[in-house]
Amino acid sequence: MITLTSSDGVQFDVREAVAKESQIIRDMIQDDCVITNIPLANVNHKILSIVLEYCQMHVDKTEMEVNASKHQTTTGEGSSSVPVALKVSSNKNLNDWDKEFINVDLDTLYDLILAANYLNISGLLNLTTQAAADIIKGKTTEEIRATFNIKNDFTPEEEAAIRKENPWAFE
Amino acid sequence: MSFRSIMLDVKESLGSLSRRSFEVKLSGLSGVSGRHRGRSGAPVVRPHEEPEAVAESDNTWAGLPPELLREVVRRLEESEGMWPNRKNVVACAAVCRSWREMCKEMVISPEFCGKLTFPVSLKQPGPRDGTIQCFIKRDKSKLTYHLYLCLSPAVFAENGKFLLSAKRTRRTTYTEYVISMDADNISKSSCSYLGKMRSNFLGTKFMIYDTEPPHVTISSSPILPPQPVKTSRRFSKKVSPKVPSGTYRISEVSYELNVLGTRGPRRMHCVMNSIPASAVGPGGSVPAQPDPLFAGPPSFEESFRSNTTSATSIADHFADFSSARFSDVSGRLNRPDEAGEGSSGPRKVLPLVLRNKAPRWHEQLQCWCLNFRGRVTVASVKNFQLIAAVGSSTPTGHTGAVNPLPVAGPAPPPSGAAGSASSADHDKIILQFGKVAKDMFTMDYRYPLSAFQAFAICLTSFDTKLACE
Repeated sequence: MITLTSSDGVQFDVREAVAKESQIIRDMIQDDCVITNIPLANVNHKILSIVLEYCQMHVDKTEMEVNASKHQTTTGEGSSSVPVALKVSSNKNLNDWDKEFINVDLDTLYDLILAANYLNISGLLNLTTQAAADIIKGKTTEEIRATFNIKNDFTPEEEAAIRKENPWAFE
Repeated sequence: MSFRSIMLDVKESLGSLSRRSFEVKLSGLSGVSGRHRGRSGAPVVRPHEEPEAVAESDNTWAGLPPELLREVVRRLEESEGMWPNRKNVVACAAVCRSWREMCKEMVISPEFCGKLTFPVSLKQPGPRDGTIQCFIKRDKSKLTYHLYLCLSPAVFAENGKFLLSAKRTRRTTYTEYVISMDADNISKSSCSYLGKMRSNFLGTKFMIYDTEPPHVTISSSPILPPQPVKTSRRFSKKVSPKVPSGTYRISEVSYELNVLGTRGPRRMHCVMNSIPASAVGPGGSVPAQPDPLFAGPPSFEESFRSNTTSATSIADHFADFSSARFSDVSGRLNRPDEAGEGSSGPRKVLPLVLRNKAPRWHEQLQCWCLNFRGRVTVASVKNFQLIAAVGSSTPTGHTGAVNPLPVAGPAPPPSGAAGSASSADHDKIILQFGKVAKDMFTMDYRYPLSAFQAFAICLTSFDTKLACE
């Protein structure tokens, strides 16, 4: 077990495999094998718990697949069709789970992107940035600004030039 | 001290500063640490805005570190490759400066990705690999022409992404086509006005004008009608160019009858003043293209300029050259081949010349044939294929013999047979135009022509009178 401490002092005890979903923790553990407590100065407990939920799920699924394939090799070729089906369904389940998992409010999504980046969890980073891209889709510029609360910092001249291209694109 | 009072302090100290000179750049922040600082203000603090609005907001997306914003924009750009979804990229680019910059970085020019995204791509060269397939709808009663991007490979596309429009006006001594990026309001007084095409009285010669200066000035300036010197700067330094007003002659198209008179195929000759002939050669390029996103006011352009400096220097290089040659060539005709032979300038920069591929006489069908690879279905004298003219000595008729067209079987003039695509670079069809139905035409173009140039050249084919019965 490894203890991860959030920026606000909350401790999380997780299995090493779960913590190692993070590249940065993986590197730390590799560098120093007796490490047991890792403080994470940039992630608060709320976000860390969500991140760990993600890691836990992905580790579980991966282990399930490994076990399934072990099972396949020990039981011989006769039952090979079962684990393949299991694998496909587990992938599908995991995608569905990811989809449900990432259905969070924008503040949480933002923090998750930063945390995934900081902890270097590529799967989570892909998932969160794709979710952000999906939120942008189908929105007008004004809607994007409103959604993400981004200030329009163009000068009037720049704005005029931009306004010229929008009717053309939104025809 | 509360955050709000800090902001008010900042606000007061900003009182005398201009908005533009005060920029708080947070883009350098990385990792999670950006959150709290990001929360303390948008990247640019504008004194006239209520700082409370920023301070009270719980939302911090304006402070997203650039490498993560890049990742989000990259995913958006990749997943929205086709119109109409591509508009999402355009919307994204209009959100704020940092988002715009990121979109600019992600959206590469159509020359390399084959995709049109921003209006500026209408004036950027088409793809080097493959063509951009478009169609033109003619409205005879309104005298308008609309160019659309094909969204499916079907020849009779009914829906497409609107690209450009043109309106024909008959004057006493010439015919003029105003070209716009507004589908309905096609006028020179609109800010959507992009350029025009004008024919001579006989309808045998056509001039194509761009409202923006040619990004490269080759031998065109000597023969331009007298006008203020506007050669080297890429954009006028007017603060707010509401209506584009420049007239820069970027191309000249002429039609010649052949010995058979009006019955036989016409010969087209296009001098592209804004494209050097070397552009179609190995390693060639169209220098100094417009700003990757759009031609904005200078200040804006300045801020986006960092990676276009090399292009600018090429533009200046060409500008120097053209002014050096001014006295040298001014008396001469605008035939680039002749100018080329007699060129005594320090560097030979010749404009690209396009000519139509000579059709072959089909004995069985008793007509002239060109292979349009299924993209043209109705025989018309307006149909044409343009290729780069190699040197001045190549007789027009020879290409067909050197590189036989794969016209197969008893097909109408535009044969649908698929041919070998592995011809030499100079034999590549740069622009192809032809009829597919009443008032419907296809237009396929590729590097080095832009959609705007290609459309204008196609419009000349509508207006030829002498050469077209």
